[in-house]
Amino acid sequence: MTSAFSERLMASLDAFLEAVLRFLPGILVALLIMVVGLLVAWVLKLIVTGALRAARFDRYCDGSGLSLALGRADVRTSPTVLAARIVFWLVFLSLAVAGFSAMQVAFVNQLISEFFLYLPRLVSALLILMLGFLLANFLSRAALLGAVNTGIPSPRLISVVVRLLIMVLSFAMALEQLRIAPHIVLAAFIIAFGAVMLGLALAFGLGGRDVAKRTLERQLGDRQDENEDGISHL
Amino acid sequence: MPDLSFLPDSLRHELAVVGEVDVLVGIPSYNNARTIGHVVRAVQGGFAKFFPDCRALLLNSDGGSRDGTPEAVREASVGSFETILAAHPLRTVHRIVTPYHGIPGKGSALRTVFAAAAATGARACAVVDSDLRSVTPEWVDLLISPVLRHGYDFVAPLYHRHKYDGTITNSIVYPLTRALYGARVRQPIGGDFGFSGRIAADYLEHDVWSSDVARFGIDVWMTTTAITGPFKVAQSFLGAKIHDAKDPSVDLSDMLMQVTGAVLALMDHHADRWKAVTGSTPVPTFGFEYAVGLEPVPVHLARMLERFRTGARELQSLWERVLNPATWTEVARIAAAPDHAFVFPAELWVRVIYDYAIAWRRGRMDREHLLRSLTPLYLGRTAAFVIEARDASADDVEGIIEALCQQFERDKPYLIGGWDEPGGGS
Repeated sequence: MTSAFSERLMASLDAFLEAVLRFLPGILVALLIMVVGLLVAWVLKLIVTGALRAARFDRYCDGSGLSLALGRADVRTSPTVLAARIVFWLVFLSLAVAGFSAMQVAFVNQLISEFFLYLPRLVSALLILMLGFLLANFLSRAALLGAVNTGIPSPRLISVVVRLLIMVLSFAMALEQLRIAPHIVLAAFIIAFGAVMLGLALAFGLGGRDVAKRTLERQLGDRQDENEDGISHL
Repeated sequence: MPDLSFLPDSLRHELAVVGEVDVLVGIPSYNNARTIGHVVRAVQGGFAKFFPDCRALLLNSDGGSRDGTPEAVREASVGSFETILAAHPLRTVHRIVTPYHGIPGKGSALRTVFAAAAATGARACAVVDSDLRSVTPEWVDLLISPVLRHGYDFVAPLYHRHKYDGTITNSIVYPLTRALYGARVRQPIGGDFGFSGRIAADYLEHDVWSSDVARFGIDVWMTTTAITGPFKVAQSFLGAKIHDAKDPSVDLSDMLMQVTGAVLALMDHHADRWKAVTGSTPVPTFGFEYAVGLEPVPVHLARMLERFRTGARELQSLWERVLNPATWTEVARIAAAPDHAFVFPAELWVRVIYDYAIAWRRGRMDREHLLRSLTPLYLGRTAAFVIEARDASADDVEGIIEALCQQFERDKPYLIGGWDEPGGGS
C-alpha cells in the first residue's frame, strides 16, 4: 500500500516536473522576448523623442492648444515626452503579449489574438480623438476670432458650440471604432445632435426672438454703417 | 530674360506686336468702371505732356471685372490735348487690356505688368490704382521721371491724406519698415509706384506669387525689396490721394492679416539685414509739396472701442499667449478705462506690435489666427489715434506719427532680443 502510494506520488511528481520542463522553455522564451521588447521599446522611445524634438513638436502643440489642454488635465510632462512614452508602452506591451503566446497556453493564446485584433481599432480610436481635439481647437478659435472681428454677439458661446459639436462627433466616431455598443452610440449621437440643433433653433426662433431680431438688425445696420465709415485703412 | 510663360498667349502676341517701348504705365483693376476712365485719361495726358517723344504703353491688368471696366479703358480718351496744355503725342500710345492669371489680387495683376515691362524692354514704368479720383497727368511725370531722367529704380508715392486715412500705414507699416530698414519711405503701401525695368525684372525672379504678396501684400513687398536690394529709392509728392468709396465687402481683418503677414514674412526673410540697422534716414523726395483740401472722413469711434473691449474680454487667453505679461497687463488696464479717458500710448502699441512679431516668429499659434487676433488691438489703437488727432492740424498729426516712429526705433533692441531668443525660428 505504501509502495503504491509512493509510486503514485512519484508519478504525479514526475508528471508535474515534466509539465514544468515542458512549460519552462516557453516561460524563458517569453521572458527573453519581454527583455528584447523592453530594449526595442526603449530604443524606439529615444528615436521618437529625437525626431519630435527636431520637428519642434512641443512648439506645435503650444500653438494648437494641446499643451494647454494637457496642463488643464494636470499632465505635467511635455507632449514630446508623452508621445515617446505612449510609443514605448505600445511597443513593449505588444511584444510582451507576443512573448506570452510563446507559453502555448490555449486560453492565453486566444486572449492574445483578440488583443492583436483589437489593437488597430484602439490606435485608430485614439487617433480620431486626437485629430478631433486638434480640429475642435482650431475651428473654435477661428469661430471666436471671426465673431469678435465682425462684431457678432456672444462670440465665446459660438466658439464653445463649435468645439462641443466637433468633440461629440469625434467621441462618437471613436466609440464606434472601438465597437462599444455601436448601435446605441449611433442612435444616441443622432438623438443628441438633433436635440441640440432643435433646441438651438427653438431658442433662437422663439425664446430669443427679440435677440434674433436685434442681432439681425444690428448686423444689417453695421453693414450700412460700414459703408458710411470713410476710413481707408491702407 | 525672366520666365514669361505664365502670360496668356493673346497678351504675348499683343506685346510682340507693340515691340519695344520706353515707358509703361500699368493699371490693375477689378470692377472700377466708374473711375478707371479718369485714370486712363490722366495717364494718356501724362504721356502726351511729359513724354511726347517716348514710345509708351498703357496696360490694364484686370481681375475679371463684370461692370464693363475693360470697355471703359478701351473707350476712354483725352479728346483735345490742347485743353491740358499738351501737344498731340508724336508717337502712338499703345493700349492693352488684358485679364491677369493667378490668385485673384493686386499682386497677380502687377506681376503681369512687370512681365509686360520685361517683354517690351520698358526703361521706366509706373503703376497707378484704378479707383483714384485725384490722379492727374503730373503723377505720370512724378513717378516716371525720377527713373527715366535721374536713374532711380523705385519711386514711392508721397501724398497728403486725411488724418484718419491710411491708419494701417501710419500705425504699423510705415513705422515698422522705417525702424527695420532705416529708410523713411512715408507711404510704403501707397499703391502708386514708379520703377525701372531693372527692378521689374528682379521682382519677376522672386517666387512669391502664391503667397499674400499676390494679394494685399504686393505694395509692401515691392517697397521692401527695393529698400533692401541694390536699388536707388526715392519718393515723389503727388498731392492729395482721393479714391472711390471703399468696397464694403473687403474685410478689415483680411486686409490687416495680409498686409501684416507680408511685413512679417519680409522681416523673417531680411532678418540679418534689419538687425544691423539703427536709426533711419530720409530718402530723396521729388515734387513740389503744397497744402491740399481733403474730404472729411466719418469715423465710428464708439464701435471701434467696443470691438477693442470685446477683444480684450473674449480673446484674453489668446492675447496672454502672444503678449509679454507686462504688455498684456497694460492692455487689460486701458480696456477697462471709460471712453472719455481712453488712451492707447505709443509705447504700448510698439510693444504690442513687437510682441506679435516675436510670436509670429516663434509660431506660438497658427499664424492666420495670430494675425486675425490683432484686429481688435488695431481698432483700439486707431480709436486712440482718432481721439488724439481730433483737433490736430495736418502738421500736428505728422508730429504724432513721427513720435510713434521714433518709439519704434528706440524700442528695436527689445524686438531683436525677442527675435533671437532661443526657441525662436520658423
